[in-house]
Amino acid sequence: MSNLQLEIKNLIIDALGLEDMAAEDIAADLSLFGEGLGLDSVDALELGLAIQKRFGIKIDADAKDTRKHFANVTSLAAFVSSQQHA
Amino acid sequence: MSWLDLEQLLLTEQPARPVSLAPSLQHGELREQALRLAAGLQTRGVRRLAVHLEDTADLAIALLGAWRAGAKVLLPADLQGQTRQRLNPHVDLWLSEHPGDANLSSLLDEPLPGAILALDDCALTLCTSGSSGEAKLIDKSLRQLGNEVRALEHLWGAELGQACIVGSVAAQHIYGLLFRVLWPLCAGRVFVRRAQPFPEDLQRVSLEQPDFAWIASPALLKRMGDNLDWPALSRVRRVFSSGGALPLPAARQLRDNLGQWPTEIFGSSETGGIAWRQGGELWRPFAGVRASLNSAGALRIESPYLPSGQIEQTADGARFEADGRFELLGRLDRIVKLEEKRISLPMLEQALASHPWVEDARLGVIQAHRAYLGALVALSDAGLHALRNQGRRTLTGQLRQHLGEHCAALALPRRWRLVRQLPLNAQGKLPQAELETQLYAPRTQQPQLLGQREADGQWHLELEVPLDLAHFTGHFPQTPVLPGVVQIDWAQQLARQLIAELPPRFCGMEVLKFQQLVRPGDRLQLSLRFDASRGKLYFAYRNGAAACSSGRILLAAAHA
Repeated sequence: MSNLQLEIKNLIIDALGLEDMAAEDIAADLSLFGEGLGLDSVDALELGLAIQKRFGIKIDADAKDTRKHFANVTSLAAFVSSQQHA
Repeated sequence: MSWLDLEQLLLTEQPARPVSLAPSLQHGELREQALRLAAGLQTRGVRRLAVHLEDTADLAIALLGAWRAGAKVLLPADLQGQTRQRLNPHVDLWLSEHPGDANLSSLLDEPLPGAILALDDCALTLCTSGSSGEAKLIDKSLRQLGNEVRALEHLWGAELGQACIVGSVAAQHIYGLLFRVLWPLCAGRVFVRRAQPFPEDLQRVSLEQPDFAWIASPALLKRMGDNLDWPALSRVRRVFSSGGALPLPAARQLRDNLGQWPTEIFGSSETGGIAWRQGGELWRPFAGVRASLNSAGALRIESPYLPSGQIEQTADGARFEADGRFELLGRLDRIVKLEEKRISLPMLEQALASHPWVEDARLGVIQAHRAYLGALVALSDAGLHALRNQGRRTLTGQLRQHLGEHCAALALPRRWRLVRQLPLNAQGKLPQAELETQLYAPRTQQPQLLGQREADGQWHLELEVPLDLAHFTGHFPQTPVLPGVVQIDWAQQLARQLIAELPPRFCGMEVLKFQQLVRPGDRLQLSLRFDASRGKLYFAYRNGAAACSSGRILLAAAHA
């Protein structure tokens, strides 16, 4: 597990109040929404804000598939690192 | 575009009157499809149609078609198993985008002729959770709905002009249905079919239009972020918000970004719209709405959006100004709103208590980045057994899964506090404030002290190991066991409270023995004796007849 993935897992736990979860409970390919971790659309909004704030990046509002990056921790980490190096 | 009352929408085809975008739909096609659906429903003898469609153009066709056929429409809030089971006695056919249900195209026949819809016979039934926790069905006639959209047009129609209506909220509820679908249909304003719950999507869809207005809710409006193109978005004609309170800072942020205060709508499924306001001012009742207070200080509503003569008693506390405007003071019952979804705490508590692991349960709201529920659960014997043998996460996971059959995911508790008995007061009640104190508190790290006595320099303590002890989380996830180091720590801490002359410095351990595991809920007898001449604190934990652990803690003066 990369440090970035671990950081994102902890961010998810803290930002969404998932008290009984630990980072190792969230597999990198576990689907965050619907079946899987079971987050909802409000969590998606919260997570979008938390990610932008923590990593100092901006989610491109013109891109049509932005929310696809939020599928799981792997895709989110790839998205964050691509934005940080952009 | 000319105004058409709701009952006139199927009368004659209106050329060049757009209905929806992406894909676009004209009035003529809407009317044709609705009349064909009406025929299909009549052929099949469908009198009561449950409709759950995310595509609001299809929803409009379904509503108008059902009304033309003389069928009643039920709008369930979701398609969960429990919801279906509860509503099935009231439903002949389910129309939805779900694979097992009927879809719109499968129900079309040769069209019925156009006609005026009957204002008092056409009915819509909304489903919401009532104060008792049972699902509540609320009937609306076409007359009531028509009165309401006419009032909205009167207030804001001129200003909206030909703005395209973009919504972030579902249309299964009264607010989304009126503002996203019925009002634009009557006004001839085009609307976007699908809800846009994310700010980036809302922006993209909006900026494709020359003019637009938003039908939104606090869940979105308080989380808009700073990555949006505010100068372009400030073309928005009006921003509506309803479903729950919009915090003033969020409203102010929008005002700063868009140059206008969002327009908040206050109402409910039962009452329809009651009042509106902008920028944290007092609420102004809609024209024709008569609002007053009952003896408990809760709003009572008479309105053209209610059946004539009906007075709707709410549980919303309020305070009136002399000019008829009012301030809201919060709910007077145990219904809470999480992100605009009405959640009945009693219903969820009953559902939790129906699980064999649960003796009793209470729920409260935790306010964090987002608000969520916390559960204080008194475990049954079976629940205690499950906790001891499968661990906390398995237990809370199963309880969440069980609750998931009774409620939407956002109502599932995220914080759990486990106890043997609820801390009820002398009246047998657990006041909500006390409950919330318990839920906000972090998980304990201390044993519960049940009794203590001293005999011949030896202390005897009766302890209970809390079910919720924070140390159990990592030790171990599947089988919670009280760590030995915590036992030593407790012995020393408790001894310091009881024995005044205990030297402060920990110097080590002797003859440490761990004989039996200590688990959540165990009753322990701890004996403590301090031998001052040797600087040794003797401790022994027993669980009834069985010795659990014992040892000697070496203590010395601070500067030795």
